[in-house]
Amino acid sequence: MSQVINGRVRDADGRPVAEARAGYLSGPVPLPDIAALTDADGTFVLAAPVPGGYEIICSLPDGTNASQAVDVRPGEDATVTFALGS
Amino acid sequence: MADPLNAQTPHTSLSSEPEETGKPVEAGPSEEPSTGSAAEVAEDAGDVEAVEGLRRPEAAMVEDTAPDTSGLADIAVASFGEPAEAILGTDDRVQITNTSAYPWRVHASLLITAADGSSWIGTGWFIGPHTLATAGHCVYIKNSGVPGRDGWVRSIRVMPGRNGSTLPYGSVTTSTFRTVTGWANNGDQNYDYGAIILPTNLGNTTGWFGIGVFSDSQLNGSTVNISGYPGDKPAGTQWYHSNRVTAVNALKVFYTVDTMGGQSGSAVYRIENGNRYGVAVHAYGGSTANSGTRINQQVYDNLVRWKA
Repeated sequence: MSQVINGRVRDADGRPVAEARAGYLSGPVPLPDIAALTDADGTFVLAAPVPGGYEIICSLPDGTNASQAVDVRPGEDATVTFALGS
Repeated sequence: MADPLNAQTPHTSLSSEPEETGKPVEAGPSEEPSTGSAAEVAEDAGDVEAVEGLRRPEAAMVEDTAPDTSGLADIAVASFGEPAEAILGTDDRVQITNTSAYPWRVHASLLITAADGSSWIGTGWFIGPHTLATAGHCVYIKNSGVPGRDGWVRSIRVMPGRNGSTLPYGSVTTSTFRTVTGWANNGDQNYDYGAIILPTNLGNTTGWFGIGVFSDSQLNGSTVNISGYPGDKPAGTQWYHSNRVTAVNALKVFYTVDTMGGQSGSAVYRIENGNRYGVAVHAYGGSTANSGTRINQQVYDNLVRWKA
């Protein structure tokens, strides 16, 4: 089973941000150009088909966005956390 | 279920419904577009759309094009040795604001609900009155790594010509989809295409793009266009870019058009005499080129059958 990247999106007060959009900015292989929406808990899960370095971009509905690099090791899930918005 | 009319190949059609009412196809070189019954139609501009602020492909080529891309297709498709980066060089996408006009209204923002209830965004484009082409991974999730997520998505809300919170043609939600065994069974990127079937004929209002099977020589170096709904911009806004095809193989088209997550399923199209023809379905970001599933004869045949 392939690894996954677990993401969390929080606002400046640490509250979960729903309906933020998260997708791949770069990665070790060609990746699908689809984007996940965060759930009510402000979380998302993206597949990491192979180990390696990924860059995840996360955007608020107004287009404010940030990206983070994450290293995915073989057989291990990875985690990224975004702090976005007020 | 498998369609016996096209059995034993990776292009074997699959339906999200128990029975598919497929019809035999008399394939032709192209299916013609329609501008639909709605009033506004944007002006033509040769091989690219007339959009203010768009950098012409010739200008973008100066910094974006490698001198030799002959090995690109094999690297991306077979070895997966190519890293992904959907914005190639500078980000040259231009926002479309008159999305209620043809051709922009042909593109639909997709809100996808997967089998596990997770939500995703993508793009589809009308190819007929009640059918939109899109990526296979927009209708059938494969290798997600999340229990309960893989398989047919639960539903898709289709919003043609969306511009932020404005839905000029409303929205339609459906759970009827198509893809092929090469994608659903094997997760093979070469067969990553599908279709969304609507319960209404909204495409008669929006219009649709034609589709065509074009030769290698017609595609290599040619200008292609992509418009869609990327996730890194204000929600539900449509963005367009145009650039060159850098390589093709029998199953894929590679190009330097900028894209981002959310644009999966967009039309990769060319303009001929003011008519727009899809040549591929956008699906992947790569390091030196983005790529889509080529509309070859088998893909063409399925799309024609799915829009019947």
